[in-house]
Amino acid sequence: MEARLKLISRAMQAGMAAVALAGAVTGNLTWVPVAVISLVVSEIPPLLRRDLRLVLPVELNLWIVLALFLHVLGGFSGFYDNLPGWDHLTHAMSSSLIAALGFVTVVALDKYVGSIYLPGSFIAFFIVMFTMAMGVSWEVMEYVVDEVTGSNMQYSLSDTMVDLLFDAFAGFIVAAYGAYYLRHTSPDHFVESLQLVEAKAKIEAAIRR
Amino acid sequence: MRYARAPRRVFEAEASWVACTVLFFCTVYVILDTDVLWSAFGIAALSLYILPIVSKRDPFQALPWEMTLLLSSPIVLHISEGSRALSGAVGWWDDFTSLSFALSFATIGFLLTMELHMYTDVRMNRSFSVFFVIMFTIAISGFWQVGEYLSDVLAGTDNISSNSQVMNQFLWAAVGGLVMGFVYGAYIKAMPRSRREVLGLIHFWEVPGWKRD
Repeated sequence: MEARLKLISRAMQAGMAAVALAGAVTGNLTWVPVAVISLVVSEIPPLLRRDLRLVLPVELNLWIVLALFLHVLGGFSGFYDNLPGWDHLTHAMSSSLIAALGFVTVVALDKYVGSIYLPGSFIAFFIVMFTMAMGVSWEVMEYVVDEVTGSNMQYSLSDTMVDLLFDAFAGFIVAAYGAYYLRHTSPDHFVESLQLVEAKAKIEAAIRR
Repeated sequence: MRYARAPRRVFEAEASWVACTVLFFCTVYVILDTDVLWSAFGIAALSLYILPIVSKRDPFQALPWEMTLLLSSPIVLHISEGSRALSGAVGWWDDFTSLSFALSFATIGFLLTMELHMYTDVRMNRSFSVFFVIMFTIAISGFWQVGEYLSDVLAGTDNISSNSQVMNQFLWAAVGGLVMGFVYGAYIKAMPRSRREVLGLIHFWEVPGWKRD
């Protein structure tokens, strides 16, 4: 199973590399930087694993690559302009990703910080709020960038609102899935499988050196 | 009960009740007006106010009056005709109401963390609580705007005029949330112990020395 997921990730990375290459060869440079950056970002989890022994759940790894891939694919193939709803799809992907990273962070905080105790129902509530807060911050960032640079990231009121609706939706889904996940695997086991302690020891060793 | 007759306690509670009466009548008004979002706001705020009083069975277990006042300010501004007139006449009035809205939601977030500590197993440390208040304010503002938008689309109300109006609300929510997150962090530290005892809120967030086993 894990090998197959890894293969899928590699295939999508190859796709992004192909987009970067094709764009560079044909002189169609708009999406080349995005493809390259996405490729680099998609290599971060494997690098963390190799150098820090920090292991993200396999599903999350795949989700990261998929979100980046869909973004690059949409830009390259013009889906953003031609396929209605494509931007909402990628928006939902990235907000669910933020929600999932928030989930991992908050579960790890619960385990490793002695003065914090967060029961499962609170974690679910937290994820919903966290995702929405990040979504709002994102929209505000888009608005401010538009105002300052004169770009056009935010199309219209209804577009912004649908984005936020997708944020809320993604937050609820991840919160529900997270609650399910914690009920069916022990939270301790889940957090230990991330190997945060090993990663912390590695970082401390690197700083000392 | 030890403090039930202390004049200071009576004064604190009375000031708080006055502020809450405003909130109560505004809530009744928006409910009669079938203003769904604002009714939800009023009921949520009132529930957070009432909860300590009911659970301790002591009407003097009222929240600090300044928090109650902040809690009720946006709903007063929302229903007041004077505020509506000022919104047309004074350029910054809408920003002011947006900010009062953010301060009120930060207060709800703060009360939520406080009451979660009083009534559930949830334990946060100070920095997590500050983060939670900030995040809560921004998130609620998001849900609120989505709610207003949905009401515009589905029920034909006229809440939102433009995208930049929404963004303005968000910016004020971020400002108000950030400020109030840290203000409440400092507020807890700054409130003298004597007043904490009078209010019956010895520890707001932190149960001293609490450690997870």
